[in-house]
Amino acid sequence: MNRLADLKKSGRKAFVAYIMAGDGGLERLSEQVKFLQDAGVTAIEIGIPFSDPVADGAIIEAAGNRALKEGITLQKVLDELASWTFEVKVPLIIMTYLNPVVKFGIERFAKECKRAGVSGTIIPDLPYEHRDLVQGAVRQEGIALIQLVTLTTTEQRMEAILQEAEGFVYAVTVTGITGARDHLAEEVRDFMKRVRSKSSVPVYAGFGISKVQHVDMLRDDVDGFIVGSAIVQAFHDNKIEELTPLIDAVTAPSSV
Amino acid sequence: MTKVKICGLMEEAHVKAADQADAIGFVFAPSKRQVSIERASELAKYAPVDIEKIGVFVNASLEEIEKAVEKVPLTMVQLHGDEPDSLVEAIDVPVIQAFSIRSKEDVSRLKKSVADYVLVDAPGTAHRGGSGNVFDWTLLEGSGIDPSRLIVAGGLTAENVRSAIGQTKPFMVDVSSGVETDGKKDSVKIQKFIQQAKGDLMEQAIEKVGFFGKYGGQFVPETLMKAVKELEDAYTEAKQDPEFSKEYHHYLKEYVGREQPLTFAKRLTEAWGGPKIYLKREDLNHTGAHKINNAIGQALLAMRMGKRKIVAETGAGQHGVATATVCALFDLECVIFMGEEDIKRQQLNVFRMKLLGARVESVTKGSSTLKDAVNEALRYWVTNVEDTHYLIGSALGPHPFPTMVRDFQSVIGEETKRQILEHEGRLPDVVLACIGGGSNAIGMFYPFLQDEAVKLIGVEAAGEGADSERHAATMTKGTEGVLHGAFMKLLQDDAGQVQEAHSISAGLDYPGVGPEHAYLADIGRVEYKAITDEEALKAVITFSRLEGIIPALESAHAIAEAEKQAKEMASDELLVICVSGRGDKDMATYADRLGELA
Ligand SMILES: Cc1ncc(COP(=O)(O)O)c(C=O)c1O
Repeated sequence: MNRLADLKKSGRKAFVAYIMAGDGGLERLSEQVKFLQDAGVTAIEIGIPFSDPVADGAIIEAAGNRALKEGITLQKVLDELASWTFEVKVPLIIMTYLNPVVKFGIERFAKECKRAGVSGTIIPDLPYEHRDLVQGAVRQEGIALIQLVTLTTTEQRMEAILQEAEGFVYAVTVTGITGARDHLAEEVRDFMKRVRSKSSVPVYAGFGISKVQHVDMLRDDVDGFIVGSAIVQAFHDNKIEELTPLIDAVTAPSSV
Repeated sequence: MTKVKICGLMEEAHVKAADQADAIGFVFAPSKRQVSIERASELAKYAPVDIEKIGVFVNASLEEIEKAVEKVPLTMVQLHGDEPDSLVEAIDVPVIQAFSIRSKEDVSRLKKSVADYVLVDAPGTAHRGGSGNVFDWTLLEGSGIDPSRLIVAGGLTAENVRSAIGQTKPFMVDVSSGVETDGKKDSVKIQKFIQQAKGDLMEQAIEKVGFFGKYGGQFVPETLMKAVKELEDAYTEAKQDPEFSKEYHHYLKEYVGREQPLTFAKRLTEAWGGPKIYLKREDLNHTGAHKINNAIGQALLAMRMGKRKIVAETGAGQHGVATATVCALFDLECVIFMGEEDIKRQQLNVFRMKLLGARVESVTKGSSTLKDAVNEALRYWVTNVEDTHYLIGSALGPHPFPTMVRDFQSVIGEETKRQILEHEGRLPDVVLACIGGGSNAIGMFYPFLQDEAVKLIGVEAAGEGADSERHAATMTKGTEGVLHGAFMKLLQDDAGQVQEAHSISAGLDYPGVGPEHAYLADIGRVEYKAITDEEALKAVITFSRLEGIIPALESAHAIAEAEKQAKEMASDELLVICVSGRGDKDMATYADRLGELA
């Protein structure tokens, strides 16, 4: 994950892509990762499907349900990653709800992530208060537990969260669930400024980012963008190349 | 890890209950907990060999102390008087010196102590040796006291011990009155305290607020944390405000129609030929079930917090109707999420909600039942959290919901306890309630938890059979996991995917049971049984014909299990069933499934 800090130093913006593992079959995952790293993304979040994804909107939920129908489990995804022989050039981050991890065994999760070459994990229903449940185990394996901050995170809490942040901070741009949106509220820019001024690790904006115009609006105040629903939908519709302009808009060096 | 001392033990049962503690204390100084050396020696036989046995003295002579150390035998001595340093140094075993702390000056005094450990307590009242008053832990901040010498006492309870440990990180915590009920030690409280203070892996990892043993917590997305914390603060504050309680009880009386009778079921008693059967009549509440007890309480709290928009989920529609009703009463905006499957089987309630002015949103995801409705309600809440209160309908969800819902439903058990004493002059032998998420059951059981002779039985839905694929028997078949904001018991597969539940009763059709029940099951305080669709339907007929009360399908599960229990009981015993609701809402199902009777 040091690469993310280096990128920040160089002034370039990061693009983190989210994909739902097993949407369309687990065999697609390696193609998807290859496509994205070739397209120049900075890191990839591998989503683990969950039966009750309360932080997610319709697109990711539907993708998760398709993946569940394919019989995808945390174990299968980690085994798949571990089996890859091609060069994975970008950090992989497992995004999963807490329950599959608890069921899997937290220490086992950390070890298996390490074996699979995973660099970080995001658990949206594991708030800061309960982070110790997972943090010790993943830290031991050198895996970052990525923290989220949101528009409703109070000042004091944000400082506490940022103090412990590792890898990057996931700054949520909407008060709501994942899913593409037309507009982002003006207050988001101030929020990003605030987070960034306090954070020692890169700050990436996520939730609802799907358009070049969102990127233009926030690019001066963040270190990168996380794009989920738009990518999931594009892969599902077999139109992923349509997202290349968005990836380029973020990662192009000219825009510093 | 911080050690735990249970102090002031006088009875064998309580010494045994404290067997997971690191230390137990015997008080030799004048106190209502005073014991003789002989008695302490007797009690010490029931304690594990490796537990520290600590004698508490106030200005005793070295001779007395040495005698006790030898006879009990004690492994440590605790001094609460004005003992000189020379005495402290003369004692062979490790010494704890206690200080009452009122101010920062007191803190500097205890730093000078020559004892091995220092114990800090809130100032006592009549006798020295601890008062049970809450000690202001913040006084220790920045005092420079070595935490490995520090023992914290004073007003500790299972509820606050976690935060005391968090704030002071002491060598040991010491509790006495905090594990008592009406001035006597209480085994359940002792165990709960130890469990809270020590915890297992899950527990150690987590700030303990809002946990029942290892269950509970606040496992929600960051966006909701502010709202959850605000609710926690608002509820803590409201709970202490007599005006709030007055208002809540006012509406229970004047609007809901409480108190509800505890009806003696004469014909049922005769038919079952066992114990005397009593029925707690939640079916008589306005809107027809216990759900409104909670809806009133939460709506009042929401308004107190300045929130005038309400979102809720509903399964059977009873909670939806209760919520829509209070929203009409208090002029609040109301959105109810309900699974499409439930909308079909509870048409009448859907119409009632609409008539009351609520917006009913159909949920077509997953199994289109209660779990999916909760998911959607949570998503709605995440999106509208700044001005909306999530009025959850069962003892589920992130802290403070399970505690708050339990408290609002405890009126059921409180009334029952009072009424059975009026009727029979004693407590019942068995109390039964059905379990969906667990709210009517926890409300009924909570006031009886300390009365260990009262057997408590929760009855969940076995659907087509607990061993079939189609059931909702979480306590019987489920495992631990996190859903809807809490660590609790769930029906889930090996990969941690939550499974769909099945029950003819929409209100029990949920693949989880709230955290407090999971805890009560683990400690063995409540037993959980499962009743099938067929058994419940049969109970509907029996109950309707023998008592003239058509029960809700949910309640019929408790009734069916009550019949089984009654068969094993004697005629001088007492059994109470919580009739959580009436059957009006289920009439279409009854007409369909029991049609041949009509
Ligand atoms: C009449 C009745 N009883 C019981 C329940 C189950 O809920 P809980 O376990 O929260 O009491 C419901 C839920 O809808 C109900 O309507």
